[in-house]
Amino acid sequence: MIKVQKLTKSYGKHQVLNGISTTVNKGEVVAIIGPSGSGKSTFLRCLNLLEVPTSGTITIADQELTSPKADVAKIRQHIGMVFQHFHLFPHMTVMENIIFAPTQVKGIPLEQAKAKAMELLTKVGLADKASSYPSKLSGGQKQRVAIARSLAMEPEIMLFDEPTSALDPEMVKEVLNVIKDLADSGMTMLIVTHEMKFAREAADTIYFLDQGKLIESASPDQFFTNPQSERAIRFLEQVL
Amino acid sequence: MNKQKLYYVSMLALVLLFALFGPVCSVYAQEATDQPKKTLIMGTSPDFPPYESVDAKNNGEIIGLDIDIAKTILDELGYELQIQSMDFSGLIAALQTGRVDFVMSGMSATEDRKKSVDFSDPYYFARNTIVSKADNNFDTIESLEGHVIGAQLGSVQEAVANQVPGASQVRKLNKIADLIQEINSNRINAAIVEDAVAVEMTNSNAGLVMNFLPADENDGGYAIAFPKGSPYVDEFNTVIAQMKESGKLDELLQQWFPEPNTNKSASNALIDFRVLEGYVPYIMKGVGVTLLFTLVSALLGLILGSVLSLFKISGIKPLMWFATGYTSIFRGTPLLVQLTLIYYATPQLTGYDIPALLAAGLAFGLNSAAYLSETIRAGIMAVDKGQQEAAMALGIPYRKMMISIIFPQALRNILPALVNECVALIKESSLVSVIGVADLMRRADIVRADTFRSFEALLLVAAIYYVLVLILTSLARMLERRLRRGD
Repeated sequence: MIKVQKLTKSYGKHQVLNGISTTVNKGEVVAIIGPSGSGKSTFLRCLNLLEVPTSGTITIADQELTSPKADVAKIRQHIGMVFQHFHLFPHMTVMENIIFAPTQVKGIPLEQAKAKAMELLTKVGLADKASSYPSKLSGGQKQRVAIARSLAMEPEIMLFDEPTSALDPEMVKEVLNVIKDLADSGMTMLIVTHEMKFAREAADTIYFLDQGKLIESASPDQFFTNPQSERAIRFLEQVL
Repeated sequence: MNKQKLYYVSMLALVLLFALFGPVCSVYAQEATDQPKKTLIMGTSPDFPPYESVDAKNNGEIIGLDIDIAKTILDELGYELQIQSMDFSGLIAALQTGRVDFVMSGMSATEDRKKSVDFSDPYYFARNTIVSKADNNFDTIESLEGHVIGAQLGSVQEAVANQVPGASQVRKLNKIADLIQEINSNRINAAIVEDAVAVEMTNSNAGLVMNFLPADENDGGYAIAFPKGSPYVDEFNTVIAQMKESGKLDELLQQWFPEPNTNKSASNALIDFRVLEGYVPYIMKGVGVTLLFTLVSALLGLILGSVLSLFKISGIKPLMWFATGYTSIFRGTPLLVQLTLIYYATPQLTGYDIPALLAAGLAFGLNSAAYLSETIRAGIMAVDKGQQEAAMALGIPYRKMMISIIFPQALRNILPALVNECVALIKESSLVSVIGVADLMRRADIVRADTFRSFEALLLVAAIYYVLVLILTSLARMLERRLRRGD
């Protein structure tokens, strides 16, 4: 589904990603963990070109994203992304937030888009908030709307960039549950997270990044019980 | 990515420009083609009764002695008369740039003016008078020694005033109404004014008196001005000679020149709003002109300013340079200069006789765009970067993102600044009176000239401007509440 080869990214002299190569299969759920500044978010943002890689190639569903001829906007429609700070459109209601891209970009009829939006809102437990403005929602509710907004485009891949880091502790669970349900439904997902328990339960694969390199790629059981690298061992000692 | 942005930005700019000027151009092109009879355009400054003034109490037509003489001559020669109103100081420029075919505006054929334009034979010799407060009652040039004298800027009387021996100062003012006010406030002691005007001045202001000066043998008389080398001078001279001979000219003079009013019924009060009776509808018509003009320039400014702000944040060097250079030039030069240049230079450079209202809308719009582009840019920059990322991640194309996601939020950020700009536009619009657009301010000037009273018309239009601004700001508050409903 996703193939990354020798991906590097640098800002001036500062090298953030230092040659990452990996493959993500359809339906695979990957949790990306690592110390802060290790390049986790940058790696994730490269996958839909919010960051333009310095070198290397990214291929998604047989389309090379990094090719100069790539229709980036089109490819992005198939990759949903959820941000740490939600980024809901504040001047639109919850419903408008969700149906904007489907109706305006994919040309889906309004009634159909609304029905789909209600279905998604029900799924994330916010059917009663359809006509609220984002400012009236709690952080956890905002993030669930943001997830519904991404899903409304019917993406094949979902990227989560620290989806619970900006939330009050009591709201983390409601968001993680939604993500977990999504993972169980067979969606291909990459999740940058600091929630180790969640990573262990929900992910098929753990990526451990440090200093711009993919140090370990292993199943959760293997990674958490028997980490291979010195750096992973030290990291786990600090966070567990 | 950048290519795509460039494409959208430039398409947007083109479409907007076309939408703005396309219809305007075609309308005027049509007008130009259907003219059955040959029309001559006469330039005049209708603030000089009885020679020319606006019949503000009736339908706002320009009337007066000069107009009747012009009609008689053009009837005789078989031309159609079209009158173009403008400021006295712009008349010579209008002749030289071919905006008008001839000028009649109580204009004396002086040696200085003869260097720039051709004159017909004179049709009237005015006599100069001294107007002063009744208790001063200056009656000779000599009595003016040591006093401050005033005259209308650009008039023949200005030259006379300059030659008064021993005058402590000569002050030149734009309008006759200004002279009256300056006498009343004792800033000048006396004004040199021609006779017909002086009669009206003293008739309308009870405290003023007039005294004739001896006739001046060097006076070139009032004459019709033409562009240098105009083919019409000889034809006009023939008809003027006929009119003098047949007594038609004297008849017109009799008809227009006022009798000195001996039983002084005029108001003595500083401010007496009764003098505006009959003029109010004429002034109120200026509200529409001012609003239309403000709307056009605000829209043009907003659209063009948005395009420029997009250029500035596009990251494409040539577009950024263009937008920055544009802003620099239009912010760095006076609006009045831009307005005058656009109005007078456009016909000469392009051959398109740009109407005054369009020239004014264009000048104000272009100028306002320079300021607004910075405001809008700041508004866009203040929108959270995450908004753009979220839109990009959803696959929303640049143009849709800008229009539906970024601009509405930017607009909310800058609404107070936009309202300021509109308020400024409404009030600055009074500048357009210099090219003769009949906006509120121009109409106030005309009524001041007509009534020979200064304050009443000014106070009325000040109140109107104030009400307009009040309405605008309350509309803006409603809009702001609507935009903030998401908060």
